[in-house]
Amino acid sequence: MDLQILDHRLRVTSISKNGLVNYTHPLIKLIFLRNRTRCKFFSLTETPENYTVVLDEEGFKELAPSEHLQVESSIWLPLNVASNGNASSSSQAVGVTKIAKSVIAPLAQQHVSVFMLSTYQTDFILVREKDLSVVISTLNEEFNIFKEVEGEYVPVGCQDFTNGLLKNGKEVVQPTVHPVLIPQNQFCVMSLDPDTLPSIATTLIDVLFYSNSPKKESESSTGQDLECIKFFSFSLIDGYISIVMDTEAQRRFPADLLFTSSSGELWRMVRIGGQPLGFDECGIVAQISQPLADGDISAYYISTFSFDHALVPEEDIVSVTDMLHHQRNEPSTT
Amino acid sequence: MSGSKPDILWSPHHPDRYVICDSELGLYSIGPVGSTETKPGTLSLSEETAATLLAINSDTPYMKCVAWYPKHEPECLLAVGQANGRVVLTSLGQNHNSTCKELVGKEFVPKHARQCNTLAWNPVDSNLLAAGLDKHRADFSVLIWDISSKFAPETSVAAEKIRLSSVDLDSSTVVTKPLYELGQNDACLSLCWLLRDTKLLLAGMHRNLAIFDLRNTSQKTFVNTKAIQGVTVDPHFPDRVASFFEGQVAIWDLRKFEKPVLTLTEQPKPLTKVAWCPTRTGLLATLTRDSNIIRLYDMQHTPTPIGDETEPTIIERSVQPCDSQIGSFAWHPSSQNRMVVVSAANRVMTDFTVFERISLAWSSTASFMWACGRHLYSCVEDEAEGTDGAAEKDIATKMRERAQSRYGHDTVQVWRNHLLAGGISHMKQCSEDAELKLQGNKQFVVYSGIKNIVKTSSGTTESRRCWSGSDRQTDVTRFQSDERCLALRLCGWISRGPDIDVETFLRSLEQEREWERAAAIALFNLDIRRAIQILSKGAVTEKGDLNLNVVAMALSGYTDEKSSLWREMCSSLRLQLKNPYLCVMFAFLTSEPGAYDGVLYESKVAVRDRVAFACMFLSDAQLPRYIDKLTAEMKEAGNLEGILLTGLTKDGVDLMESYVDRTGDVQTASFCMLKGSPGDVLKDPRVQCWIENYRNLLDAWRFWHKRAEFDILRGKLDPSSKPLAQVFVSCNFCGKSISYSCSAMPHQGRGFSQYGVSGSPTKSKVTSCPGCRKPLPRCALCLMNMGTPVSSCSGTGKSDEKMDLTRENKLAQFNNWFTWCHNCRHGGHAGHMLSWFRDHTECPVSACACKCMQLDTTGNLVPADSS
Repeated sequence: MDLQILDHRLRVTSISKNGLVNYTHPLIKLIFLRNRTRCKFFSLTETPENYTVVLDEEGFKELAPSEHLQVESSIWLPLNVASNGNASSSSQAVGVTKIAKSVIAPLAQQHVSVFMLSTYQTDFILVREKDLSVVISTLNEEFNIFKEVEGEYVPVGCQDFTNGLLKNGKEVVQPTVHPVLIPQNQFCVMSLDPDTLPSIATTLIDVLFYSNSPKKESESSTGQDLECIKFFSFSLIDGYISIVMDTEAQRRFPADLLFTSSSGELWRMVRIGGQPLGFDECGIVAQISQPLADGDISAYYISTFSFDHALVPEEDIVSVTDMLHHQRNEPSTT
Repeated sequence: MSGSKPDILWSPHHPDRYVICDSELGLYSIGPVGSTETKPGTLSLSEETAATLLAINSDTPYMKCVAWYPKHEPECLLAVGQANGRVVLTSLGQNHNSTCKELVGKEFVPKHARQCNTLAWNPVDSNLLAAGLDKHRADFSVLIWDISSKFAPETSVAAEKIRLSSVDLDSSTVVTKPLYELGQNDACLSLCWLLRDTKLLLAGMHRNLAIFDLRNTSQKTFVNTKAIQGVTVDPHFPDRVASFFEGQVAIWDLRKFEKPVLTLTEQPKPLTKVAWCPTRTGLLATLTRDSNIIRLYDMQHTPTPIGDETEPTIIERSVQPCDSQIGSFAWHPSSQNRMVVVSAANRVMTDFTVFERISLAWSSTASFMWACGRHLYSCVEDEAEGTDGAAEKDIATKMRERAQSRYGHDTVQVWRNHLLAGGISHMKQCSEDAELKLQGNKQFVVYSGIKNIVKTSSGTTESRRCWSGSDRQTDVTRFQSDERCLALRLCGWISRGPDIDVETFLRSLEQEREWERAAAIALFNLDIRRAIQILSKGAVTEKGDLNLNVVAMALSGYTDEKSSLWREMCSSLRLQLKNPYLCVMFAFLTSEPGAYDGVLYESKVAVRDRVAFACMFLSDAQLPRYIDKLTAEMKEAGNLEGILLTGLTKDGVDLMESYVDRTGDVQTASFCMLKGSPGDVLKDPRVQCWIENYRNLLDAWRFWHKRAEFDILRGKLDPSSKPLAQVFVSCNFCGKSISYSCSAMPHQGRGFSQYGVSGSPTKSKVTSCPGCRKPLPRCALCLMNMGTPVSSCSGTGKSDEKMDLTRENKLAQFNNWFTWCHNCRHGGHAGHMLSWFRDHTECPVSACACKCMQLDTTGNLVPADSS
């Protein structure tokens, strides 16, 4: 297996719902006018709380600072696992499940905070630049690590990082078990030919920027009784488009332009966190992905500024719910 | 294709059919203009060809790529890759009952929809179709479909949780199970099957090139690179592959796959297509975005890049098939260097043939060849049959002929040769000049030329002489001195001796039937009677000119009266005389004393005659001025006659330089300068340059013996040019040279006596090292120790270091020389080796398989001169 450290230096930002109006211009430029920016990594996720924007430094220049823009102070580097052609036919599961044991768990043990971003095409594991040496020394036994330098992959040796196993300078804390929320909407993960992006532009703008009606409800209710939550994710990374949206939104798009798997799978969401999770806590992804991996259940995982979101296949939601409830009850019983 | 970017595909089997695909597929047939002009709707592609639209297919929207079925049957079957990753088989211009009916309409659907980037049919197993798709997190990006497979729903539904809601599967025509799935969690941007083995598929994946082997799909060979677009195998070199990234093309050798063997100069705009020419080896055409030119890279002469780090030679050029921007192009599969180009907008097509570069080469022997495309032309100089043919010959041919006839080695004979070959009369002058120089005792003075001789002139005496045979006093003043006398000799008028007597010279001229010249010289020596006698002799001889009698008559009427009618008429009518010597005779007779411009500046008269005349009749003040003026004139013109004036001095080199500039005759220049020049003139870089060029020329003609002769001659004439021995045969044991004739010889001799070993004169050969007495290696054929016949050589060598290597006292005949192969180190006597390799290719040593003779690149060359 290969682990690739991609040549993007990313910032994680959040735009408040009320401040969106100030940022529509740069966002539209970043989404639709690819030739006008040098931004290669752009992801916009709408949640009931805010808009999370993950983008590289070129794109970040477009966003003017204001009170509505929150910026996480670190530089994040995206990692990508390439299976190197050796298909593991034993597991049908895909996504974050596949890397749960090999990447997520070891990093959690080393107290490296990760920010996950799954797309139609692949799963990006974002780590802080300052944690890179720990990441490399942790993972170089399992992986051949390559660093992308000007478009070509250069092998990275571990000898550069002798003092890697530093436990990241943090104490070992018993991970907090966060409450989860399972809304009722069904989601689909789709892609799009970038050349046909203009033909869905109006719908996309409508969905992204004029969806304020369900906002009030979702803000008021964070409880488990919530029926649906607003969630829409659009990413444009290295020329590839990935869109995650619920079936409600999907109906507004012309059916023949968006691609998805031929089986037309639908997904259910598990939202992790009762209150904003912050960026320093680690092990959050691990505590969800590990049981999923044990159950061999596929999953997408999208972190946002406030909460984390896992997407699991619709048909597996019952077992996932059971499993999570069991996990949450277990600490109390012990 | 998406947007307006079109592409072209030639039919693999119909040389007159092609398909253009943009938003739809259009099948065209191409033909000569004449045959299609009557039909409406034909499009002119070039002056000779036009295309007719045969069929249109717009069944498949969102086309991303198209590939044409490679086999004859079913013809015109196309695979279309769509934006959602589906591959559809379709057809154009076929009857519905054709063989491909059951294939047309078949769809191949990947598990997860994403763009299909590329398609490639397997050229041999033509039911295999490889599709390259974009990345999906869980799916494979290279799918190989079997077009003959049937959809089998019962096996796949359960396993893959097929949900038929979003796509309506017409179960009879949709295939969802590929034969092979490769490249998980990666993107594939380009594909091609390798010609070397049809189970191998080369794929341009995201950031790497990978070779998949269908016999073992878990293995792949890959190399990380950015250049992953448009992979294409050179049809002429199955191991050569081109791929590109943005503006840069990389050429790969699959045998050495770690890095590109070469990268082509980067273009400012991104490339859109790269294609090898199928009809010409090593020609790669590239197209960039928004461009109206196609750039061609000729790698024909690029050496095979195995282990070769030298910069390869690639000839780059551009062609502009049409004025508009080019959308795409396609090489014709069989017609040489032909392509069809389609414009980026409006589907304007152009039929275009890339004109082949013409390369030409001169042989060293004046024949000439050029190649264009698959044609090779040779051009050989006609053997000139006509009388003036010889004079028309190229200087190289002339020099070659002269070299063959020993030009330059025998003074007299050779200058004659030159005379015959070129008809350059002044060379004879030069020869006589040279002869005189050899006789001259004051050599240095002679070589310095008349210009310098007359400058030093002193003690000039003036005299007025009578016309011989009459007592009439002339008013002509004649000047005399030793130097002038020497100059006259150099001019050939008089021979050695104290007397100024031209009679010998006149007789020789008479023999050569140069009547006019002889008469003029007689007249200049104030002997009118002799002149008249010569002229009348000339008139009566066979083929003689009767007019000479008339001239003689006119001459006899000479009067020195200034205002006579004779004088008046002669001075005006003489200009009508065609012969310059007759003309100057009357000029001399009619001119005022001391003012002989009519004679001196008559350019048709040989320089030496004019110079001799000047030496006789110009005063000390006039003479150097005239000589200087004439010298400058000669130098300007590069006229070899001027050598007489300049001598072989720096001035002479200047003159020779302009001669060489004019004629390129380095041969004459080399010999002239060698013949008699003092050392410092020979050291002139120009002279050295001529000599080196002449040697190179002889080498190029394979006149190796002539070259050797020339070197020997050069060594004799210019001892400083003798090269030092650079190669020695050294003893295996002590490392000293075994040679007797090298400069260490006296020391060697002393060595012998020191050790008390008397060099026995009876011993015929030395087969041991003279330094350490160990035996020399044995000849592989006769098994004798090699060695040199010693006999008297060591004795003479001691006493006479500058031993002349004539045939008799050479150390050894060539047959006894040492030779050995630089590869296997086996060897023996040269003669034995030569005869062995006449019949064998392998080394004579048993169990040595070295092909020694074949390694010797010059061994098979034969000298062109057989002396």
